[in-house]
Amino acid sequence: MNTKIIKTLIKKEMLDVLRDKKTVVMMLVVPIILYPLIFIGVMQLMVVITSSMEKQDYRIAIEADDGGGFLHKLTENDDRWRDKGDTGDSADTTDEEDSYTITIVDAESIDDYEAALEAEEIDVYIRGEMQDGKFNYDVYYISSVTNSSYAMNIVMDKFDEYKEELTQAKIKDAGLSIHEILEPVIYEEKDTASNEQSLGSIMGSVLPFMLIISLLMGTMYPAIDTTAGERERGTLETILTLPVTNRQLIVSKFLTVAIIGMISALLNIVSMGGIAIYMYKIMDMQTDGMSFDMAKFYPAILVGMLAIFAFSLFISAITMCVTSFAKSYKEANNYITPLMLVVMFTGYIGFIPNIELTQTMAMIPVANICLLIKNMLVFKIDYMAIAVVFISNIAYAVFAILFLSKIYDSEAILFSDTKGGLQLFEKRENLKKGGVPTVSDVCFLVALTTVLVLYGGSMLQLKFGLGGVFGTQMILLLVPLAIVLYTKKDVLETYGFHKTKITGFLGGFFIILGFYPINIVLSLIMISLFPQSADNVINTFSSIMNGNIVGVFFVIAVAPAICEEMMFRGVIFNSLKARYRIPVAIAAVAALFGAYHMSMVKFIPTGLLGLVLCYVAYETGSIYPSMMMHFINNAISVIVSCYPEQIEKVFPILYAETASVSDMLLLTGAGLILVGIGWLILRRNHADYK
Amino acid sequence: MSECRIMADNLVKTFTRNEKKSKKVDINAVDGISLTVGESEIVGILGANGAGKTTLLRMMAKLMKPTDGMVSIRLGDKEITDDIEVKRHIGYLSNNTKLYGRFSTAELLRMLGTLYGMEKEAVDKKIEEISDILSLGDFIDNRIEKLSTGQTQRASIARCLIHDPQVYIFDEPTLGLDILSSAAIIDFMKKEREAGKTILYSTHYMEEAEFMCDRIVTIHQGKIISEGTPEELKKELGKENLRDVFAELIVREGITDEH
Repeated sequence: MNTKIIKTLIKKEMLDVLRDKKTVVMMLVVPIILYPLIFIGVMQLMVVITSSMEKQDYRIAIEADDGGGFLHKLTENDDRWRDKGDTGDSADTTDEEDSYTITIVDAESIDDYEAALEAEEIDVYIRGEMQDGKFNYDVYYISSVTNSSYAMNIVMDKFDEYKEELTQAKIKDAGLSIHEILEPVIYEEKDTASNEQSLGSIMGSVLPFMLIISLLMGTMYPAIDTTAGERERGTLETILTLPVTNRQLIVSKFLTVAIIGMISALLNIVSMGGIAIYMYKIMDMQTDGMSFDMAKFYPAILVGMLAIFAFSLFISAITMCVTSFAKSYKEANNYITPLMLVVMFTGYIGFIPNIELTQTMAMIPVANICLLIKNMLVFKIDYMAIAVVFISNIAYAVFAILFLSKIYDSEAILFSDTKGGLQLFEKRENLKKGGVPTVSDVCFLVALTTVLVLYGGSMLQLKFGLGGVFGTQMILLLVPLAIVLYTKKDVLETYGFHKTKITGFLGGFFIILGFYPINIVLSLIMISLFPQSADNVINTFSSIMNGNIVGVFFVIAVAPAICEEMMFRGVIFNSLKARYRIPVAIAAVAALFGAYHMSMVKFIPTGLLGLVLCYVAYETGSIYPSMMMHFINNAISVIVSCYPEQIEKVFPILYAETASVSDMLLLTGAGLILVGIGWLILRRNHADYK
Repeated sequence: MSECRIMADNLVKTFTRNEKKSKKVDINAVDGISLTVGESEIVGILGANGAGKTTLLRMMAKLMKPTDGMVSIRLGDKEITDDIEVKRHIGYLSNNTKLYGRFSTAELLRMLGTLYGMEKEAVDKKIEEISDILSLGDFIDNRIEKLSTGQTQRASIARCLIHDPQVYIFDEPTLGLDILSSAAIIDFMKKEREAGKTILYSTHYMEEAEFMCDRIVTIHQGKIISEGTPEELKKELGKENLRDVFAELIVREGITDEH
């Protein structure tokens, strides 16, 4: 590859991108100005809050017949509790003598303490009564009112002291040693973590996330600008007239984006580091000073730099793949939002304790970088894992670039008109009637339903159990339907509501009967591979089984057969099929269906079920056979779960957690024969259908 | 006709369209076109919208790969077929070849010169030369996004000139331009023909084609339906001017709907 050409192209891309205000703002202004501004803002806010709490007068009413015991304690007004330093809230531990005053309000004057609290005439109301020889105090306050809740803290601290004084007095009266009774054992916490380790573990949870986000932000705009931006400005065809190969073009665009991403990430780090050092200096002046040996962090910094390097390659390649499909800045922004969410959520992994950088983890993009940096900061060094992280990131980047060069080889994408975009946000009157939804609309639909099912669905299930499961199904039914109707699509076409021959149902029937035992074998294998998630597979319905059998049958067998089929084998499949080759469309539907069940263990069995159902929908050209099959499949599961005693006698394997190899082979063999028969019937049907 | 410069041999371009009921239909946008353009020659391509003009020109400029057939350039006794090498000798201009707005014309030309493999001195010399011809002097250092339409058009022509190509391929270069700007382009093409260059261009303006072109090729549905000098065509169809010739051809082919 000609380096002179690449160099010139990179220079050109760099200039082009850096002369764009948006990129420069994202790259320079955010890290250099925004972080310090936010920091200063937060500091100022804290000063304001602290000062507003000084010299507060708290009004307390007490109604207790304890001979003025606690009242005396309250008005004693020593600030011994504040000397302890770590008790109570430290917010108002100022150097001043009195950070607050207490005014005792005459309890007699208060008719309704709740109203008085509400009106903030008093902050705390105390009522004491003698019960079983003990004084029982009820302390009323309003936790949502700041003054009331601060006053409450003060009162509680006073109570602690009061109790301690009374205890000591009683021990003394009994003629015992206060020291021996109150402190029979002595213990002390000794942290052997070095200062560096403590610092590292704090940084380890925050820094990886900040890095990931800043890299993502840094690469996003150049990625859009060099791909969709170039297309929007109409310079793509110009560059294609040059004696430059596609590969040279892509490599230089990619390197530009990656370099800008790295610079942006470094600026972010420098800016954050600056603030950190500043804060450290302030703390250093206030406390006795923890000293850090910065040299200990050099390996972490080195690996961190390499990680930034590897991740910027990865994230640039991925964002460019996404943005290359877009024809304009706006469209690219839409496409990139889901990617951003996924990256951000994965980036949160650094905050979760106890997730280790295993070999598998080291291959999961984004998460691996987070965990690697986290590990390095607490001085856990696993060379193998480090190697896997770097190799996998670079490998993903290479794959993404290969994919990207495919996009740039595709004239259909390069020279396409403004067709196939997100129609949902077009003006409705501009939309053409008929046809199936565009792929972009389907992507949006999948994203939207995922969010709705993840949050809404699980909330509904927690609250309403079986009814909630039905609610989830309704989401799957109604959301796509709304989009299909809004974008004026052909409902019959989109959902595949077509008549089909009886052989389609017959073939489907045999296939699903054969598939069920195969699926059992698959689940058994998955259980043996991931024994800890066995419950997940077996007791799918146990939590909602309490309902009546008719209800369960309806929600688990009937509803999904309609709703899930209409979503997956209907809208999604028919839309993808119109744009991509059939195997690609089927595989995508299967993967989505597998992922929809939200379990690693179930992914393969349900994904395969999705594949089979989708294949039948394709062969028959209709959604009805796959609905029937889905119903049969789920109905068997419901029956198996509802009548374990009766069925276990006949088919013990349905409840087994392990099975012999011969049993598994037998089941698979029988299953395959049935599937084969079904397939043959279906093929005939398909020939007729065409 | 003088020695041939650029050759298209049985070019075919098939697009796959998604029709209703998810059937894929293959359409030949260009359907077996063979064409040669020689030294000091201007050949005009006429045709209704959707006839395949742009696809043909894109394939000839090596922007698109033909489904079948090939494009080659002959320089002396050398025959060049490699995509990248062919591009070195072609100056391509269309409505879709916009310029980088964030660059100045001088920066753009310098960058392009380097990409065409020219030495720095050669680029500088060439820029000076082009600047004189197209009088870019006033705005050569201004950002292109700040230029007027006419200035941008001149910068676009400058882009095609930087590598001193032997063949120009222009796709509707005068479309939507005012009289002054299109006159500048027409003058430019004529001058280049005198300098021995080869020019292939498509247009919708019949009068312009009639007095500019040495030969005119009319295409319809991806096929050549007539070819000849304006005089030959007029004589053959017994018409006064090219507009009538084209109208007659349309009637013959049964093209009623020019969408």
